[in-house]
Amino acid sequence: MKQKIYWRITVIAAVLLILLTFTPIVMPAGKIEPKLFSMPYTLWMSMLITIILVVLTYIGGRIYLKDEE
Amino acid sequence: MLKWLLIVGTIYIAILFYLSWRSRQRNKSNEDFMMAGSNIGLILGFMTFAATLFSTFTLMGMPDFSRTHGIGAWIFLAFSDAGMVFLIVWFGFHLRKQVAQKGFKGMSGLLQSCYKNKWAGYIYFLAVFIFLVPYVAIQIRGVAIFLEQAFPAALPAWGWSLFIVVIMLLYSEFGGLKAIIYADFMQGTMLLIVVWVIAVTCLNYLGGWAEMFTQVEVANAALLSTPGPKGLLNAQFLIASFLAILMIPVTQPQLSTRLVIMKDFKAMRRMAVAVGTFAMLVIFPTIIIGMYGAIRYPDASVPEFLGQVLLRDQPAFIAAAAIIGLFAAAMSTSDSQLFAMGNELRGLLGHKGSDSLLPIRIAIISFAVAALLFSLFSSDQLVLLARISFAGTAMMGPLVILGILSKKPMGWFMVIVSGLGLAAFVLSQAGVLPGMVGPFRMDLFLMVALAIAGFGNYLVRK
Repeated sequence: MKQKIYWRITVIAAVLLILLTFTPIVMPAGKIEPKLFSMPYTLWMSMLITIILVVLTYIGGRIYLKDEE
Repeated sequence: MLKWLLIVGTIYIAILFYLSWRSRQRNKSNEDFMMAGSNIGLILGFMTFAATLFSTFTLMGMPDFSRTHGIGAWIFLAFSDAGMVFLIVWFGFHLRKQVAQKGFKGMSGLLQSCYKNKWAGYIYFLAVFIFLVPYVAIQIRGVAIFLEQAFPAALPAWGWSLFIVVIMLLYSEFGGLKAIIYADFMQGTMLLIVVWVIAVTCLNYLGGWAEMFTQVEVANAALLSTPGPKGLLNAQFLIASFLAILMIPVTQPQLSTRLVIMKDFKAMRRMAVAVGTFAMLVIFPTIIIGMYGAIRYPDASVPEFLGQVLLRDQPAFIAAAAIIGLFAAAMSTSDSQLFAMGNELRGLLGHKGSDSLLPIRIAIISFAVAALLFSLFSSDQLVLLARISFAGTAMMGPLVILGILSKKPMGWFMVIVSGLGLAAFVLSQAGVLPGMVGPFRMDLFLMVALAIAGFGNYLVRK
C-alpha cells in the first residue's frame, strides 16, 4: 500500500514538472537572465528538470517494480 | 583524411562482420534469430536502446536544429527523452506482463491477441510501415548527401545510399537481432565519443564555455531563449513533440521489442535510467556544436555547415571518425527499424512466419529497397521529418496502451478511431486537410482526441 502511495507521489511530481516546463515559468519568451554557469535561463532550468526527471525514473522504477523483482 | 577514413572504416566494417559471425554461431533457432534469446542484460540493453533511439538526426540534425532554433532544442529532445524513460518504467511493466501471458511475435501480433481483432494488428502495421520507411530513408539520405558533398569525386548520393543499405542488410540478415544489438553497442559508443570530441574542438575554438554564450548573444540573442529566432519552438510545438517522443517506445516496434527482450524487470528499469542519462550526454554536445555553427556559419546551408563543422574544422583523424560515426548512427537505427518491421510481419503471418524465416528475410530486404527508393526523393530536413515519423506512429499510442492495459478485448471502437486518426494525420501532411484545427496543431489535436477516445473506450468496456 505504501509503495502505491510513493509511486503516485513520484508520478504526480513528474507530471507537475512536465507541465511546468511548458509554462512561461521555464520558457519565458525572449528571457535570458538569470544565467547560471553562463547558461541562459531556459537552458539551465530545463536541464535541471531533465535531470530531476531521470532521478524520478530511478526512484519510480525501484518503487513500481520492487514486488516484481 | 582519406587515409584515416580507409583505416577507421575498414576496422569498423571488420568488427561489424565479426560480431555478426559470432552472433550467427550462437543462434540456435528462428526465435534466437528474431528475438536474440530474450535475455539481454543492462549494458547491452541500454546501449542497443540508446543507439536505436539516437540516429543520424542526432549527429547531423540536432546541431543544425540548435544552430537555427537555439537552446529550445534541449527541451525538444533531451527533456522529451527524459519523459519517455519515465514512461518506460510503467509501460514496460505492463507490456512484459502481457507478453508473459500471450507471447510475443511483434506488437501487431500482440495487439491482435489483446483486441481479439485482426484489424488492430493491421492498422498498427500500416502506421509503422507508412512512417518508419521514410524515417529509415531520411537517415540514409542524410549521410549519403553529406558524403557526396565531402567526396564529390567518389560516389553519387544514391551510390552511398546503396552502400549503406547493402552493409546493413548483410550483417543483420547474417546474424539476426543479436548481431544488431552487438553492433548497436559499438555504434552507440562511437556516436557518444565522436559527438563529444567535435563539441570540445568547437568549444576550444570559441575560447571556452562562457565565451561561447557571450558570442551567441552578440550574433543572435534570440537563440538563447524560446521560441527561438524563427518562433518555431513555442509551447504548442514542444508539447506536441513531447507527446510524439513520449510514445516512441509504445508505438515504434524496434524499441518496444527492446523492452520485451530485457532479461528481467530490474534490468529494464536500470536500462531506462541509463538511456535517460545517455540522452543528456549525447544531446548536450549537439547544442554546443549548434551554438558554434550559429557564431561561425549562421547563413550557411545545412550541408555546408555540416561539412565545415564535422569535417573541415576537425583534425583528419576526427573527421574520419565523424564520417564513420554518421554511418554508425544511420545504420544502428535503420537496421533495427527494418528488422522490427520484419518481426511485425512475422506476427501477422502467424504460423507461416514461425516455421520459416525466408518470407521475413525477403520482407526485410523489400522494406530496405523501399527505404532506398524513398531516400532518393525525400527532403533534407532531418529533424522535422523525424518528428513527423514520431508523430505519425504516436497516433497508435492510445490503441496500444488500451490493448496492453486491458484484461479483456476492447472491441472495435478504438481500432476504427485510430485508423481515422492515422488517415487524418496523413492527409494533413499531404496538404489535403488543414494543418491546424482552430488554434491547435493537427498532430496535437489528434493525439489528445485519440487519448480521450481511448480512455472513454476503457471506461465503457472495463
